Amino acid sequence: MVLLKNLHPPTEGVRHEQAETTAVLDGQRLGCGTLYVAETRLSWFDSSGLGFSLEYPSIGLHAISRDVSAYPQEHLYVMVNGKLNKENEAEMAEKAADDDDDGSSDGGDDDEDEGAITEIRFVPSDKAALESMFSAMCECQALHPDPEDDDSDNDFEGEEYDVEEAEAEHGHADIPTFYTCDEGLSALTQEGQATLERLEGMLAESVAQQYHMAGVRTEETKAEFEDGMEVDTAAMEAGQFEDADVEHW
Amino acid sequence: ECFKKKKKQPTATLTVQLTLACVSAPQLFYSFFKSLVGKDVVVELKNDLSICGTLHSVDQYLNIKLTDISVTDPEKYPHMLSVKNCFIRGSVVRYVQLPADEVDTQLLQDAARKEAMQQKQ
Repeated sequence: MVLLKNLHPPTEGVRHEQAETTAVLDGQRLGCGTLYVAETRLSWFDSSGLGFSLEYPSIGLHAISRDVSAYPQEHLYVMVNGKLNKENEAEMAEKAADDDDDGSSDGGDDDEDEGAITEIRFVPSDKAALESMFSAMCECQALHPDPEDDDSDNDFEGEEYDVEEAEAEHGHADIPTFYTCDEGLSALTQEGQATLERLEGMLAESVAQQYHMAGVRTEETKAEFEDGMEVDTAAMEAGQFEDADVEHW
Repeated sequence: ECFKKKKKQPTATLTVQLTLACVSAPQLFYSFFKSLVGKDVVVELKNDLSICGTLHSVDQYLNIKLTDISVTDPEKYPHMLSVKNCFIRGSVVRYVQLPADEVDTQLLQDAARKEAMQQKQ
């Protein structure tokens, strides 16, 4: 059996709770229980209190699966780095009992090698809840960046993306922490904005060719200049090349 | 620590440079990926799984959301055949493969170098 004892569900910071959810771990059906998407960790418990917890840094990927021909029910797919086995889970149980608030348990990392993964499927009886479960996990993942990133994160003020500000300004209810092409640059921090402007200044200095950002060719450019010449007409000023009869290449 | 995220693999040297730049200039790559939203990419994870999809969004930790995904080697990795959209944690990404004609590597390299020098000052 893969289940643990003596763990209790989180009481604080629960972004989403989904009852009547079956957990399937590496193909083994663990039974029906409740999934807790909490800010500290992801956990699942059945009615007798048996369950398991996952630390977000160990979750490499999660997704909603809707293709019933590949798996018979719609579910939340979670890919965990490394293997969960009895030994590691015993460690996790001890640590969880001692340090309830400690979100940095490393149980399960000992046996991790690069290729080994654990697949978990959370199958809720209410399929309409899948989007909320997915979004809640995305939000909680963003709360647990890699510790190594802290050294290079000196430019950022705080860890959290300004969710409410971005939402209020741009009305993105479903993916508030992410920058999509619709969002404005004002969602960046002041330092981030300054850096972005500096980068764009550097890019604008580029003599031969001009781009929107970071050297990416836009689709418009591709369509217009199939001979390979990459000129961004939007950035050109007053047709600077029009009076030159020289062929550009 | 240097092997965090590699942006392209045209040459080994460039890969290493961009990798180091990614660690020292995360804002540059955040900007870079923001500009690639909507483009098709292949994300190779550190566990060797490769996922092809359209870049939907990225955050400051380079967590990636992809849509319309397909697994490039489904026989070896059948796990995700039924998945359409996914969220990939930035720390598990080994490579992000981009279409060669979507990126000016020279420009990106110059910008990364400049940004790294700025950081040191």
